[in-house]
Amino acid sequence: MKERQLPRARVDCISREFGDEVLVYDLQQDVGHCLNWTAAATWRLCDGNSSPSQIAGTLSRQLSVQVDESVVLLALDQLADAHLLVEPEVLPGRPSRRVAIRRMGIAAAIALPLVTSIVAPTPAQAASCLHGGSPCTSNAQCCSNVCDLLVTHRCVLG
Amino acid sequence: MSAFGVRAGVRVNISGMMPGILPLLPPGWKVSHRVIVERLYSLVAGDGCERHGMRRLHVLYANSMRVARDTSLNLVLEALETDLQRYTAEATPQMTFLHAGVVGWQGRAIVIPGHSLSGKTTLVREMLRLGATYYSDEFGVIDDSGLVHPFVRPLGIREDPSYAQTKYTAKSLGAASGIKPLPMGMAVICKYEAGAQWQPAPLSRGQGALELLANSVAVRSQPHQTLRRLQKLVTHAVFIKGTRGEAREAAASILNQPCPDKGLETA
Repeated sequence: MKERQLPRARVDCISREFGDEVLVYDLQQDVGHCLNWTAAATWRLCDGNSSPSQIAGTLSRQLSVQVDESVVLLALDQLADAHLLVEPEVLPGRPSRRVAIRRMGIAAAIALPLVTSIVAPTPAQAASCLHGGSPCTSNAQCCSNVCDLLVTHRCVLG
Repeated sequence: MSAFGVRAGVRVNISGMMPGILPLLPPGWKVSHRVIVERLYSLVAGDGCERHGMRRLHVLYANSMRVARDTSLNLVLEALETDLQRYTAEATPQMTFLHAGVVGWQGRAIVIPGHSLSGKTTLVREMLRLGATYYSDEFGVIDDSGLVHPFVRPLGIREDPSYAQTKYTAKSLGAASGIKPLPMGMAVICKYEAGAQWQPAPLSRGQGALELLANSVAVRSQPHQTLRRLQKLVTHAVFIKGTRGEAREAAASILNQPCPDKGLETA
């Protein structure tokens, strides 16, 4: 209960700013995340001492516009899904994207929070594969993802 | 030999084979006089004696791990080339290797990240036909300043559905090869779909960097360096993403995009 009321950002991740966005690399899960400005600002304010409403208040002061708590809850929801919060739990009153948009109003001053994630590739995944007929020792080497390990030890044609 | 700070050795059991192996070493390799290497390849070539009921096999080991075993020496040599390039890309502390095609255009690098069979080489070839300078069809090599270095090797063009590649040098395609490192002007994230119209959409800098991260060879083992170099790399770059049909149409469109210095900003 305490965790979801006072969200805390994980500190065992690498983060770098890319313009308004932040790229976060999760060292434990080898996953990269791109946080847009709203998600990144919320994440930075997750210090374990601030409630969602307090975070919304801080964001409102930073931007000089009213930021609804539902926007922060939506951001926390996405950050929790991305495992970027310490011991994330299901947030109370989990807002839908539609509700958040309605509360923000049509002329919203900030973008809806968005967290995009990718699984970091292994070296073999991030390199060209072997074509059919090439000698291989594992399936991952082959474009077809099939190495005949029993007889020919060659990549099977896709 | 040493390439990008990675030391590797190759030994063979038949004298006279080494000259045929030198062109397979990573671009920019140098002779290393150090005895200790990080990875030692041992090529055990078949002795040429055909005995009844026995296959003449060539075997390649990397340290103690068997990489390839085949009756075709050419295929085993191809495995050596691929494995050595891949190891260099993964192990170098000096650079970040992106799985990407790269051309030089108007003093900037155009980087086309993508997995195998995504059509990188085809797009690179079309850009070369339109006057771009060849940098690589396999790796974008990024230094600490965020500059893109050439990794010039023959283009491996797949011309039939068997995935078999035919090698073409840039020169044979009428193109020049890059020498100087370039800042990245644009990254093009695309996939091929027959009949698709090339209508790319701009991508934000963060989203674009995430696409590059997804094609970084050593991000798992060198995450700090990778993110730091990507941050430098994308500083003045634009990103576009879309589905392309014929490479010729997309290549022309990409080369006609205004460069960042002329006012095109990231979304």
